[in-house]
Amino acid sequence: MERFDRSGTRRFRARDGLIAVTVAAIVLIVCSGASIRKQGEEMAPGIGRDVVLAVGRPAAWIAGQLPLHSAVRTMTGWLSPDTNLGGPGGFTDAAAFGTGDAIPAVTPDAFQPSQIGAPPPPKRALHTVLVTGDSMSEPLDLYVAQALAPDGVKVIRDPHIGTGISLSVLVDWSKLSTHQVRQYHPDAVVVFIGANDGYAMPGLGGRSVGCCSAQWAAIYAARVRRMMNTYRQEGVARVYWLTLPTPRDGARAKISLVVNAAIEVAAEPWRDQIRVLDTVPVFTPGNRYRDSMTVNGQPTIVRQSDGIHLNNAGSAFASKLVLGLIDQDFTH
Amino acid sequence: MLFPTVQFGIFFPIVLAISWALMATPHLWKPFILLASYVFYAAASPVFCLLLGGVTLWNYGAARLIGGSADDRTRRRIAALAVSGNLLALGAFKYYSFFAESVARSFHALSLGVPLPLLTVALPVGISFFTFQAISYTVDVRRGLIEPATLIDVAIYLSFFPHLIAGPIVRAREFLPQLKRPRDPRHVAVSSGLFLIGMGVVKKVVIADYLGRTVVDPVFGVPQAYHAPDVLLAAYAYAAQIYCDFSGYTDIAIGLALLLGFVFPQNFHSPYRATGFRDFWRRWHMTLSRFLRDFLYIPLGGNRGSRLMTYRNLMLTMVLGGLWHGAAWTFVLWGTYNGLGLVLEHALAGKLRTPTWLRWFVTFHLIVLGWVLFRAQQIGIAWSFLGRLGSFGAPTLWTAPVLGAILITIGPQLLPERPIDRLQAWLGKLSPAVLGFALSVVILFVAATVPSQGVAPFIYFRF
Repeated sequence: MERFDRSGTRRFRARDGLIAVTVAAIVLIVCSGASIRKQGEEMAPGIGRDVVLAVGRPAAWIAGQLPLHSAVRTMTGWLSPDTNLGGPGGFTDAAAFGTGDAIPAVTPDAFQPSQIGAPPPPKRALHTVLVTGDSMSEPLDLYVAQALAPDGVKVIRDPHIGTGISLSVLVDWSKLSTHQVRQYHPDAVVVFIGANDGYAMPGLGGRSVGCCSAQWAAIYAARVRRMMNTYRQEGVARVYWLTLPTPRDGARAKISLVVNAAIEVAAEPWRDQIRVLDTVPVFTPGNRYRDSMTVNGQPTIVRQSDGIHLNNAGSAFASKLVLGLIDQDFTH
Repeated sequence: MLFPTVQFGIFFPIVLAISWALMATPHLWKPFILLASYVFYAAASPVFCLLLGGVTLWNYGAARLIGGSADDRTRRRIAALAVSGNLLALGAFKYYSFFAESVARSFHALSLGVPLPLLTVALPVGISFFTFQAISYTVDVRRGLIEPATLIDVAIYLSFFPHLIAGPIVRAREFLPQLKRPRDPRHVAVSSGLFLIGMGVVKKVVIADYLGRTVVDPVFGVPQAYHAPDVLLAAYAYAAQIYCDFSGYTDIAIGLALLLGFVFPQNFHSPYRATGFRDFWRRWHMTLSRFLRDFLYIPLGGNRGSRLMTYRNLMLTMVLGGLWHGAAWTFVLWGTYNGLGLVLEHALAGKLRTPTWLRWFVTFHLIVLGWVLFRAQQIGIAWSFLGRLGSFGAPTLWTAPVLGAILITIGPQLLPERPIDRLQAWLGKLSPAVLGFALSVVILFVAATVPSQGVAPFIYFRF
């Protein structure tokens, strides 16, 4: 202990350490008990989540009985690096379900020119690209940026790790997509998201709908469609939405199947502006997981060890597919 | 389990309370702290607890055999076998993919299609640290510096959660004696422990993550999109980020150990104050430096041979030290760069008379340059990054908070008496309740700066 002994300081005992840690824990519970519960709710199911919730729920209740939580939030709120996504426009708003009794109109936007033998529209100049999503969008965003930056294209990388379209407690992608479009005005938006999805979502009437029924897929597709509509900016922008390559884990694979189906359905009204890049035939043909594939004539590992994400080589390969689609629509 | 998380915030107070409650009865305390450490490790990956257990048994067995043998040659052979086993485990998990891919690329370049089988091998968290500690234990037993320990003591030494994931690399002869007797509950460095925890959290979450998010990641990701002023800023910012990230982790680790009654060695000592490469490595990741010195450089011959042999030993030590940081050519290049720096310094020793400030200035910028190689994901990106230093344009990332974060990291290291030491001494006079309250206030403010996606993993977790 000599290194930590200082003249003129108190001589502390183990009991003092416990007192200090207990005081710190009490202050934290009283001031931000709700944050502990929120953290627990955002965690993946498992023992860790159960333990955090077992502490977080009573901590949140205690914090709720006292006015300190809001006082601390007022004092520290300005430090948050997150975008303020307050206000309406979230997935849970009634409008998010896209319901209505009338049969939705089919517009010319639903047809890709190539589908109907029409000439492709002239290419436009590419100025700004937004690459976003959950952890799947990393390092795809990096490779897209590295390819486009030398041409003077501004590439905004905006990954939101650990988030999901069905998990709006962490980030509401309906609000976030609106904010991104307002802030960056991208000509093209690349979206790769879904690795964290599979959470129950409120359906009509507020009833919780669990994964992965047709009802869940419909709610998910409605949310994706809402985001696609935001990103396409009334047809001004082009959206490149990647489906999920099949994960190794069977339970996750089932979710990804539904997520991918929902993405395809969601894009239907705007096939002219939204390109769904199906990664399944490329990385996991037949929805069968594989670690490696042949890239440039070489067997190459393309997945991370978690069996979910693409690794650097896989992301680089996916970025080439994305860039190929972008090149069909834009000049740069 | 990451230190600055809610999970750890729940885990640690419970472990701390039970640990001190059981401390007087080692036959209860030891299984408890071992269990707690394995729970901590299992939160990252339960499967790799088997690896940690295997490494423990392997080194325990080897040390027992060494201790039971009177023949020096036999002792040496057993130690060599044990070290090889540790390095094999490290190599298999950490370097196999790198090796296989490099071989495959070489074969492909020669139009030979016979690559090694590709395996997806997940890197067990902390393997670089606990295998090095295992080596230190077995070799120190072989050298007669310590006696073979009991299985539970070896298991606690290798798995003790404050240092399990990213060090500091605690030598067996520093830790095992602390297990011999229960820690004294009448003398615990509470104020230093809490101060280090608070300091570490601020360094990691407030400074390192902020610089990473706002400057380092964007510029190192796509250097082509930035001009010289921003690229230069990113180089300085990374120097500050990696220091705050790693020394922040170490501060927390040392602080937690202190609260539990254990003392870990110092790992950083104002590294950006260094006036040469040798000085830098005496101040940066000090426990790795001395490990490499004692278990690689000196066994290779150190500076006992000719000048050329010394240079060879320096280069080998630093290249392997670079490779220890990760299976990538950028780390090999970074190690080579540092080795060359040490060789050059050795060769010029006593021949150049330069003022201290100039030596500091040159050293600091050479170290920052080295960090560019360290941070770049590929060598091509490092060249691209350095190439952009010749591209003139307006700065876009120079903001007061960024400059402040860099200055507050590097500036105090250059002052003769660090203001932080004075603050620490002042805190040592406060009561435990006030200290606990102060820590909670720090955590509340720090937590407010965490983005919704949570705290970024420590840089050294990957190593």
